[in-house]
Amino acid sequence: MTRPGEAKLNHLFQPGHIGKFKTKNLVKYGACCVSNYNGRDGTITPRELARVRVIAGTGCGMITNQGAYPDPLGEGKSYFRQVAIHDDKFLPQFEKIAQYIHDAGAVALQQILHAGRYGGIDLGYCVQPSVVPQTLPHFRPPREMTKEQIKLVVQQHADAARRAVRAGFDGTEITSFMGYLLANFNSRFTNQRSDEYGGSVENRGRFMRELIDAIKQATPDNPLSVRLNGAELMDRWGGNTQDESFELMQQAVDCGVEMISVTVGWQEAPESSFGRDVEPGYWNFLSAKAKKMFPGVLVAFGNRLPDPAMANDCIRDGVFDYWEVCRPLLADPEMIHKAAEDRMEEVRPCIGSLNCLSRLFRDLPYTCTMNPMLGHEVEPEYHITPATEKKRIMVIGAGPAGMEAAITARQRGHAVTVFEKADKIGGNLAAYAANDLARPVDLQSVIDYYAVMAKKLGVEVRLNTEANAKFMRSVLHEYDACIVAAGARTDMAVFRYLENSELLIDALEVAHGRVKPGKRVVMIGGGMIGLTISEFLAKAGHEVTVVEQEKRIGGDIMPTFKWRHTAWVDELGIQTITSAQLTKLSKEGATVKTAKGEEKFIAADSVLVSSPRKANHDLFYEFQWMVDELHGGGDATVPRGLDAAIHEGYRLGVRI
Amino acid sequence: MTAAVDQSFGEIASWQTMLDRHRELFLDMVQGSRIGFVSREASGILPGKRLEGVQVAAAVPMLAWQLENGTMSARIEDFSGMASTRVDLLLVADEEAMATMLNELDGDTLTVIKRLIRRGRMMFFVFKNKAQLQDAGYEDFLDSLGLAFLGACR
Repeated sequence: MTRPGEAKLNHLFQPGHIGKFKTKNLVKYGACCVSNYNGRDGTITPRELARVRVIAGTGCGMITNQGAYPDPLGEGKSYFRQVAIHDDKFLPQFEKIAQYIHDAGAVALQQILHAGRYGGIDLGYCVQPSVVPQTLPHFRPPREMTKEQIKLVVQQHADAARRAVRAGFDGTEITSFMGYLLANFNSRFTNQRSDEYGGSVENRGRFMRELIDAIKQATPDNPLSVRLNGAELMDRWGGNTQDESFELMQQAVDCGVEMISVTVGWQEAPESSFGRDVEPGYWNFLSAKAKKMFPGVLVAFGNRLPDPAMANDCIRDGVFDYWEVCRPLLADPEMIHKAAEDRMEEVRPCIGSLNCLSRLFRDLPYTCTMNPMLGHEVEPEYHITPATEKKRIMVIGAGPAGMEAAITARQRGHAVTVFEKADKIGGNLAAYAANDLARPVDLQSVIDYYAVMAKKLGVEVRLNTEANAKFMRSVLHEYDACIVAAGARTDMAVFRYLENSELLIDALEVAHGRVKPGKRVVMIGGGMIGLTISEFLAKAGHEVTVVEQEKRIGGDIMPTFKWRHTAWVDELGIQTITSAQLTKLSKEGATVKTAKGEEKFIAADSVLVSSPRKANHDLFYEFQWMVDELHGGGDATVPRGLDAAIHEGYRLGVRI
Repeated sequence: MTAAVDQSFGEIASWQTMLDRHRELFLDMVQGSRIGFVSREASGILPGKRLEGVQVAAAVPMLAWQLENGTMSARIEDFSGMASTRVDLLLVADEEAMATMLNELDGDTLTVIKRLIRRGRMMFFVFKNKAQLQDAGYEDFLDSLGLAFLGACR
C-alpha cells in the first residue's frame, strides 16, 4: 500500500534498478563519511556492525557501505580506524553487512577507497601520481607511484571488488571524492606525469579506465558506480576545469560503468562545497549537466541537498536519477521513513555543522550534533527503553538541552513538564539563529523540530514561567525529578569594578532583539557568540571592533567552520584586537590594554559583552533540598555549545 | 642573475619591518623555522601547468623568513626546487599577488596574504605534518593566514 508521503514524493519513491538489481526507491545511501569506529588494522568492530544495522534500516533503495582501503600496506588508508578489504580474513564481517542490507530490502554496494594524497595515515608518506606537496598539514608527504605500483593498485581494487561480491554485495563503487587517488590521477593539480598516465585528459584518465576495466573483469555481473568531481574547486590552483571533469566522466561512461555519482570539491579546495553557508541545491547544475550528457547511465547526486522534497523535484525534472544522501541520515536515520509517511516535520534536521568531519580530522570517531545516538548504537544504555519507574519530571529551560531531555524522557513513559521563562522555546539558540549569516533556517529548524516533537509526544511546555525558589516551593510535591537546563549567561559581573560598567550591554540582549546598539560597536569577546553577533551587526551597517583576550578569535568554533567566520570578519571589515582586555569605559567608547601593555581607545556608541559566559548554576543550590532527583545538563553545567547541549540532554533523558 | 641582488621582492628592509611588526606571531616558533615565498612565473609553478618546479627548478629568487635568535628575519636566497631547499611552508605568488604584497608592506600584510590565498592568487605547500608544525609553534602563524590546520572538508 502506498503511504501518503510516497504518493506525494512519487518520483523519489518509484522503483529503479542498477544493472540487474532492482531498488525499491531512488534513494542511495552515500558512503560519504568514514565512521572511524573500527580496529586500527581495518577489522570491522561490533560498534560498526551495530551502526551499519541502523544504516541498513534507513529505507534507502541502495546502500553504499563506507569506503574500505584495498591495500595491505595502508597507503590507501585515510582515517585511523577505517575498514580494510585487502584480505579474505575480513570477509565474515562484510558478509554480515551485506546481509543486513539485503534483509532490509536494499541493494548493497561496497565502496573501495584508496585515499592517495590523503592516505598513508599510519605511514610516513602517501602515494600520488606525482610528487605534489601537501597544502593541509594533516596529510603525509608524497611519493610518486611507479608504473608497477599503479598496476598493483589496480589489481588490489579488482581483488577488493571480487572480495566484496563474494561477501554478498551486489556491486561496488570507486571514488575520487574528495581528492582521493582516483582524483589525483584525474586532476592536473596532482598529476604531473610525463608517461602514459599523465599529460592529456586522455592520459590522466588512463588509471581510472584501467581501474574500471579491472573491476569489470573481476565482477562482470555486478554494477560499478564511480564517484567523480563535477567541479574540483581546485582550478584556481591548477586543477581541472569543469569541462575537463566532464570529459573524465565521459571516459568512465565509455568504459561501461552503471552509475556516475557526481561530487563537488576537494578537501583542500579554497571554498565550501557542502557547509552550512552553501544554499541547498546550489550544485544541482552539475548533476543536471551529467544527466544531459550521459543519458544512458545512472546519475546519482546529493551534495548539499538535504531535503527529500527537493530531491523528488530534481528526479522529476531530470536533474539526477538517484538521490545520494548521507549526512541527513546521520542526523535522522528515520528520515526516509518519515518522508514516506509524510511526517517530515518530525525529522531531526541535519544542520550542516560538519561536526562529523571535524572529528574525523582529529582522528576521532564521527558523531553528529543532532543525533546523540550516533556511534552508540551498540550500547544498550543509549537506547530509548521504557522506564522501570514512571516519574513526573520538571525541566527548567526550553533550550536544546532541556527540550532534548524532555522529549527523550517522555518517550520512555515519564510525564514531563518544561518551564521556560521566555515566551517561546529555543533559549539562546533562537537568538543565535536569528543572527546567523550562514543560514538562519538551519538553526531555527532545530527549534521547530523540538516544538513539533513536544506537541506530538505530549510534553507540557509552560512558557513565561520563571523557575525560582518560590515557584519551586509551590510545585515541588508535583514532581519526582528536576532537570536544570537553564543555559548560560554572559558573566557581566567580572566587569563590575570598572568605572561606568553600567554602560556595558549584554550581547545576548542584542541577539534577542531586546536592545538596539548604536552605529559604532565594540564587542568584548571574539568567540562563536561574539563573532556571530558582530557579523550580523556589521552586515546591517554597524562599525564593529571585536576585542578578544585570547591570541586568536574563534577559539571555540569547530575547525570546519572557523575559516568561514574569519572570512566574514575580513569581508565585512570587522576590526579585531586580540590578546587584549577592556580597561576603561566612557560614553565615548572603550579603552583596551593589549598583552604588550599598549592602551588603545576605540570610539564607540555601544560596548557589548559576549564573553566570559557563566553557567546558570544558581538553581542547583536553590533546589537541592527541594526535589528528590536533581540533574543538570547543557550550558547550565559548563557553557559549551549546541552539540554538548543536545547530547547531554539526551543522556539525561535516556537514563533518568 | 644572482638572487642576492634581485629586486622582485622589493626592499628587504621593508619586509623586516613588517615581520618585526608581527613578531608576536612568531614567538612560539622554534629556532630555524623557515617560510619561503617564490614567484609562480619565475619558478615555473604555474596554475594549470607542471608543478615540477616545486621539486627542481632553475635558480630563482626566494624570499625566506627564518627564525634566528627569537626574531623572524627576511632575506633573499636562491630557490632551485625543494630538493635543495629547506622550508616548512612555501608560498607561491603570482604576478598580481607579488605586486599586491609589495604595495601593502606598510599595512596589514598578513591579512592581504590571507586574501590572496583565498582568491587563488597564492598557492601554499606544507612540508611538515600537523604534529611537526604544532611542535614548531606554527599554529598562530597559520591561523593568521586563515590556513586550515586540520582537514578542511567543508
